[in-house]
Amino acid sequence: MKTRLLSATANNRQRPLLTVITSVLLAPLTIVGVATTSSSSANAAKLTDDIELSGIVRVIGGYLESDNHSIDGYSDSVSLHQQSLIALQPTWHINDRLSTTLQWVGHTGEGRESGIEWAYLSYSLNDQWQLKAGKLRMPFFHYSDSIDVGYSYPWVSPPLQLYNNKLFPTFKGANVSYNFAGESFAVRLEGLYGYYHSDSVMIAGSRLGADAKVDNMYGANAALRRGHWGLRLAYHTGDSQTRMEFLTPLMTALQQAGFDDASSTLKAEGPVNVYSIGADYEDFTSFYRAEWVRTVTDLDFSPTQTSYYLSAGRYIQDWTLHLTFASSANTRTEPSDELQPFLADPTTPLYPLAAGYYTAYQRIPTGGMNSVTLGARWDFRLNMALKTDISYLKETSAYSGFFVNEGDSSQDVEAQTGTLYQIGWEWIF
Amino acid sequence: MNALITWVSTLSTLLNRHMGICQPHLLATVLMMFSLSAAEAKAEHSLLVVANNQDGSIQLTRSQVRNLFMGVSVGKGLEPVALQPGNQLRTRFNTEVIGMAENRIQSYWAQMKFTGRQTPPEEFSSEQELIEYLSQHPGSVGYVSSEASLPDGLQVVYADDL
Repeated sequence: MKTRLLSATANNRQRPLLTVITSVLLAPLTIVGVATTSSSSANAAKLTDDIELSGIVRVIGGYLESDNHSIDGYSDSVSLHQQSLIALQPTWHINDRLSTTLQWVGHTGEGRESGIEWAYLSYSLNDQWQLKAGKLRMPFFHYSDSIDVGYSYPWVSPPLQLYNNKLFPTFKGANVSYNFAGESFAVRLEGLYGYYHSDSVMIAGSRLGADAKVDNMYGANAALRRGHWGLRLAYHTGDSQTRMEFLTPLMTALQQAGFDDASSTLKAEGPVNVYSIGADYEDFTSFYRAEWVRTVTDLDFSPTQTSYYLSAGRYIQDWTLHLTFASSANTRTEPSDELQPFLADPTTPLYPLAAGYYTAYQRIPTGGMNSVTLGARWDFRLNMALKTDISYLKETSAYSGFFVNEGDSSQDVEAQTGTLYQIGWEWIF
Repeated sequence: MNALITWVSTLSTLLNRHMGICQPHLLATVLMMFSLSAAEAKAEHSLLVVANNQDGSIQLTRSQVRNLFMGVSVGKGLEPVALQPGNQLRTRFNTEVIGMAENRIQSYWAQMKFTGRQTPPEEFSSEQELIEYLSQHPGSVGYVSSEASLPDGLQVVYADDL
C-alpha cells in the first residue's frame, strides 16, 4: 500500500521542471526587486515605515548514485525540484512592542507542502521577554526552525537523520522566550505549548498520508553560550493520536478478524518524547558541532530512535570546508505472533491477512543509517552562497526508511548504500 | 607614525580577512613591534563602544558587548546600532569583538530573523551618521574609532583592549 502511495507521488514529479522553476522564481520577482535595491545585509527591506519584507531563495540540485533507490526525493537523474524553494516573510510592526509576521514558503519538492509556515503575533515585553502566538515551527534542534534558510547552515542539506525525521514540523500555539547576557555568558530560554494536526507526517524524508493529531504538546529548550562554546538542551513532548493512512485498512481488517493485539502494534498512538542535546565550538577559523536526539514513543513499531551527528569545519577566507558523520538507529520490536500460524499455510482464508500484516510490519522503518558528508560553501557575496555536498549514505540495517525503493514493491531486506551529490545556491534578502 | 600605524592596521585587517586566521591580538602584536610606544598606539587606535547613557554608570565586558550586538539583552535596556557591512570599522569590530567574519554574522542573523527571534542592529553608512543617531537616542550603543569626536551625552562603556 505504501508503494502505491509512493508511485502516486512519483507521477506528480512528471510535471515540467521548467514550469516549476519559472513559476517559483518569477512570481515574486517584482517584490524581490524592491527588496534587493534597498537592502544590503541581513536587515530586512522596509516597504513602508511599518512593514518589512524578507525572503529566501534556494536553488538546490541533486543526484543520487544508487541501485534503483531514491533518498529525500533524489534518484539517478539530476533533480532541481526537491529542495528548491522561495519564501517571503512580511512583518508588520503594529507598534514598538507588537508585530505580526507571515512566512509563505513555496516548495518545489513533492515531499514538502507549500503554504504558510509561520503566522504569528509577537509581543515584546522588553528586550528580554518575547511572546509569540500563532503557527510556529518546532525548535527540536539547532537548525530545525531555520531549515528552509539554507543560508544559515554550512551544508546543502543538514543531516537527514535528524532534520528529515520531523513527525511534526510546525505547531499552533504559543512560545515564550527569554534571553540574558551576564558578564561572561549568554542564555536563551524558550518554552512552548500547542498542538499539531495535519493530513501527513514526515518519516525519514518521505511524506506519508496520515490523520496526524498531536495534542497537549509542550517543551522547552535552553541555549547557553560562553566564549566560543555553546550548549543547547531541549525536551519536547506531545500525545500522538496519529493514524497512518496506508495502515488503516489493514488495522480495520485485523480488528474485524479479532486480532486486536496485531492491530494495536500498528497504532501510532501515545506519548512522543523528544530529548536533544547539542554542543558547538566556533572561532574565526573553525567550528565543531554535534547534536544528539533520542525520540521515545509508545509506538510499537518504533519505540526508540536515536540519531546524532558530528561535524567539523574550517573557514578559509570566504570558504567553509566541512566534514560530517551522522547516524540514526531505531530499536527493533517484534510484530505480534498471533497471526504466525496462518502464515505457514497459504490455503487458510486468513493467510492474506497474515501475509499483509507481516509485510506491512517489515515496511515500517526500524533500521538505521550512517552517512559521511564532505562539503564546501563559498560566500561569494553578501547574503549569497554557493554550496556543494557529497554524502555517502549506508544503511546499517534495513529498512531505515531513508532509501525508497523506486522499482517493484518487494521490501528491502538488504541494507542499501548510495552517494548523494548536491549543489546549491542560497540567497536571502 | 600615524601613517605607519594606519598601514599596519590595514595590513592586519587584510591578513585577518584573507588568510582567515583568528588572531584578535595580531594587531596588538604588530603594533607593539612597529610603534615606538604601545601606549601611544592604544590611545590613538582603540575601538570604543559608546552609549547614550544618561547616568554614566554602565560599563560592559567584551563578552557583554559581543552578546549585545548578537541580539542578547544585557539587561540594561540598551539598543545596539552598527555600521554597514564593508565599513572598515565594522570589519575591525567583527574581528576583534564579535570574533566572526562578516558572512558568519550574516548567517547568524539570517537564522535569528527568519525564526522570529531577533533582528540585526540598525545599520548606518558612516560613523558620523551613527554618532548622530546615538546622540539623539537614549539607551543606544554603537562602536566608534577613538579619533571620533563625541558629543556630550555619549559615554564610553567599553574600550577595546588592544
